[in-house]
Amino acid sequence: MAKAAPARESGLKRAHFREPRTAYLLLLPQLLILALFFFIPAIRALAQAFLLADPFGARSQFVWFDNFTALLSSPEYQSSIWVTVVFTIAQSAITLFVAVVLAFATDRVVRGRGTYRGILLLPYAIAPVIAGILWAFLFNPAVGPLAHLLHALGIPWDPNRNGDHAMILVIAAASWKHICYDYIFLLAGILAVPQSLIEAAAVDGAGPILRFVRIVIPLLGPTFFFLMVMNFVYGLFDTFAIVDAVTRGGPAGATNILVYKVYQDGFINLDLGSSAAQSVMLMAFALVLTVLQFRYIERSVNYDV
Amino acid sequence: MTIARRTMMAALAAIGLAAAPSVQAQQRIEIQWWHAMGGVLGERTNEVAQRFNASQTKYTVVAVNKGNYDEVINGVIAAYRAKRQPHLVQIYERGFMTMLLSDAVVPVHQLMADNNYKVDWDDFIKPVAGFYMHKGKLMTMPFNSSTPILWYNKDHFEKAGFGKPASTWQELEKQLYEIKAKGIAECGSALAGDYHWSLIENYSAINDQPYATKSNGFDGLDTELLFNKTTVVPQIARLKKWLDDGVMQMAGQGFSPEQLYTSGKCATFIASTAAHGSVERNAKIAWSATYLPHEQGVTARNSTIGGATVWVMKGHKPEEYAGVAAFMNFLASTDLQVWWHQVTGYVPLTNAAYKAAKSTGYYDKNPTREIAVLQLSRGTPTANSVGFRFGNFTQIMFAQRQEFEAVVAGKKTPQQAMDDAVRRGNEILRQYEKLHAGKY
Repeated sequence: MAKAAPARESGLKRAHFREPRTAYLLLLPQLLILALFFFIPAIRALAQAFLLADPFGARSQFVWFDNFTALLSSPEYQSSIWVTVVFTIAQSAITLFVAVVLAFATDRVVRGRGTYRGILLLPYAIAPVIAGILWAFLFNPAVGPLAHLLHALGIPWDPNRNGDHAMILVIAAASWKHICYDYIFLLAGILAVPQSLIEAAAVDGAGPILRFVRIVIPLLGPTFFFLMVMNFVYGLFDTFAIVDAVTRGGPAGATNILVYKVYQDGFINLDLGSSAAQSVMLMAFALVLTVLQFRYIERSVNYDV
Repeated sequence: MTIARRTMMAALAAIGLAAAPSVQAQQRIEIQWWHAMGGVLGERTNEVAQRFNASQTKYTVVAVNKGNYDEVINGVIAAYRAKRQPHLVQIYERGFMTMLLSDAVVPVHQLMADNNYKVDWDDFIKPVAGFYMHKGKLMTMPFNSSTPILWYNKDHFEKAGFGKPASTWQELEKQLYEIKAKGIAECGSALAGDYHWSLIENYSAINDQPYATKSNGFDGLDTELLFNKTTVVPQIARLKKWLDDGVMQMAGQGFSPEQLYTSGKCATFIASTAAHGSVERNAKIAWSATYLPHEQGVTARNSTIGGATVWVMKGHKPEEYAGVAAFMNFLASTDLQVWWHQVTGYVPLTNAAYKAAKSTGYYDKNPTREIAVLQLSRGTPTANSVGFRFGNFTQIMFAQRQEFEAVVAGKKTPQQAMDDAVRRGNEILRQYEKLHAGKY
């Protein structure tokens, strides 16, 4: 079974493209798009990373690895790496966990299932900046209703001054925004679980939670793996709008994740060399992470059934 | 709301153009002006362009809001690299060096001379023009210049029996603590979003403290920051104490410090004089304003300006530059300056405009409008109060803000934080010096 699959796949390729030129022609649009929007910018970023340049482009100097060495020796960059690790892992785990609970719950709901699903999907339609402003306002210690609630409970909540509070706030906002994404995939996965397996377990006397934990979750392995990779990519790259709206990377760099630092140093501070060097490093991190995930975690994922 | 209104205005303008004789429409030369003014100030800025367009038949200035100051400078850099730059762009004062040494701009004095306009540069208000002069020539047209002042709630101060805020930090501190203790106001002062400008930079100027060597950067690129060795350090300790005691509040993200003041929550608010436009429109309190406080026993000097100027970009046709020069001439005209000063709260550009406003008795009715001019021209300026001129200034300011936040979060002492800010700032300055050696 496992051996037959690749053989059939290569046979399929040959059967369809005896003439290689057609294949290249069909690939061309995609390659063009990739070159234009990915390879050329990536190469330019790499080149920029070795330059000290005036933003208007009048003057530039080749500085070898100065931008990289300056970054690696800067305490702000080191703290930014640490902040990113905490943020990305926490955000990914929370997002996945809450999405699983919600997917399980809405799958159990019989009446009004569609309405629940619709409501749960709503945050995905909200622009990140708007979502960020919403969270920043709700938890603003001076005027936010939820911050007042926390104060009433005796919690000295102040994300403007306390870095940990700010971190909790951006993790919550970023997770909230991404839960729907995980939720859609998990829901689709749950619907694809063969009903016969569930019924068999039910006949054997397993309750809904046990059935979910023992049968549905293992069968969702590939989905979990995919979502984990996607959550990491989201946390590493797509969250700068939320950080910008909620904390602006502060206080004192407590929520200054790498991608926000790239934006901050490049677009606000106009330090293009350092910003380019940071994006190269960020890309390298993402690459290493993804390779590790595929090498070590994918092994325990079972794609059969 | 604003978008809808803007679209409607654009539609109306299009109809107006279509209805006008086509010959005339074709003759008008279009001049693009990118700016960063939003809200009330954005409406006023667009009105400046409309007033100019109505004043003559040869040119049309198209004012376009391109986001905030950071977005505008980014937008113009991207546009310049793609050779699609506008004729005019509004850039914040912090971007002066970036623009000056960019090789992408036409100095305004040169533009005006090339187009045979005789501008009396000496009539420009000194603290404004001085900030933007290089080797005795004005490089960019000042547009919106302001300076921070102390806004206060009259009721709060009267109830506490003070009448008005004290002129020194030491006495003001006592007043604010008392106002809070008596429960007259929930907080003494709201921390402005641009506190680095009002409470650190202007603080240094007013109290005659050096901010950096080489006349705060005016005399060369090899300047080094010094603010970790001055009374900026105890000033930061003071602010931290106020914040800890709840005498000062931070608005934080998602809310504006101005609202803390205009809603009557905080008794004072240190902010730009350009807040006049929105305070007048939004405040439900008995508001007033006065000079910024100074340290006890110090002769208070002039404050320095902030805001933005209009830069002329290279790469356009001579006939377009003739229009640009005509617009610049219009900007500097007394009538426009008086109007602009009165509707926005920004400082008038020229002595003539200031005198014109004064002669109509405007300041008798609106005394707070004169504070900025008086504070800017107070005493004889020293090397410490002429202003600040640093390459990569935005980056330096950003590092300083981060270090201040570390103090507020209790992670560093004020001395440690300002030492670190100076170390980081000097690295940034050396980088700028390396790239632009010999150009200034």
